[in-house]
Amino acid sequence: MKGRGTMIVTIGAIVALLVAVILMQFRTVEQTDITTLEAMRDTELRAEVASWKEKYEEASKQLIDTQTKIEEYRSTMENNDEAAILLEEELQQANMRLGKIAVKGKGIIVKLEDSEYAKIDDYDIYKLINELRLAGAEAISVNGIRVTALTDVKTLAPGLLHMDGNPIHSPYTIKAIGDQKYLESSITLKNYGYMDYFIKSRDKIGSLETPEYDIVVEKTGKKMSFEYAQEVEE
Amino acid sequence: MSILIAILIGCLLGALIGINAPIISYTYSSYLAIAIIAALDSVFGGISSVVKGNFDLKIFISGFFGNAILSMLLTYLGQKLNVDIYLAAIIVFVGRMFTNLSIIRRYFLDKWTKKLEKKEENADGNK
Repeated sequence: MKGRGTMIVTIGAIVALLVAVILMQFRTVEQTDITTLEAMRDTELRAEVASWKEKYEEASKQLIDTQTKIEEYRSTMENNDEAAILLEEELQQANMRLGKIAVKGKGIIVKLEDSEYAKIDDYDIYKLINELRLAGAEAISVNGIRVTALTDVKTLAPGLLHMDGNPIHSPYTIKAIGDQKYLESSITLKNYGYMDYFIKSRDKIGSLETPEYDIVVEKTGKKMSFEYAQEVEE
Repeated sequence: MSILIAILIGCLLGALIGINAPIISYTYSSYLAIAIIAALDSVFGGISSVVKGNFDLKIFISGFFGNAILSMLLTYLGQKLNVDIYLAAIIVFVGRMFTNLSIIRRYFLDKWTKKLEKKEENADGNK
């Protein structure tokens, strides 16, 4: 009878254990569907983390690469900008010299007029231009016509000049930008200066002023294209 | 009769414990599942041996725990080797379960048929 009692107890215990374990398993499986991630194996999670880390590193590497490239592009762009600015300045200077743009600054204004006895001729004009250039004039115009490297002056008839294709006549207003003192003194030398020697002593009328304001020298209207001349390649 | 009562009490007790026990991690649930299959196999094996009349408590208990532990170990080994050994264990256990179930079924079918025959004989005898 004792053996039978043991058997009953043992079987009861085993049944209890089995049922308990089965129920635990049921609950685990039920719960796992909701919280799959939490229930994942540590190793799996670790692998996942590692792969994400790898991805992150790759992405950050790419980011750095891209940033470097952007930096390069930017610096190139800045260089280009600098070059462009320099070129622009050079172009400005060249255009100013050529007379393609109007310029202003301190300078002198010379007025020449025909008198009853004598008329201003082409020689007077280009002599004056020469004198002014000698004194360092940076821009010169005669009656609003800019004097350029290709400017011509020719007397057509007494009292009528021809300059760069335009007829001009008395009074002549010559504007020159440059050092006022040099310009003034170079043409007003006593006796042998331009004003005395070419104008006053020959009965022509001339006056000179050195205004405080900036005088404006107009741009040339002349076309500056080459039809025959070509660059010599060195 | 007392065995039936013991089984009933065991069921209730196990249900109480199972419901109140903490949830085990998913990592170990595969081990537990295979252990359950092994245990169920042992139970059916035990029932079939009762039916056959050669039931031994020691063999039953050692089979119950031994198979469960062995199957868990095999599952662990399979995981380490990256081979699904637990599938082999499940096939063996479930196959044996079906065999045992068929033995039990035949026994009870035989019993029932004999009972019916006896009844008919009795009815004939009464005539």
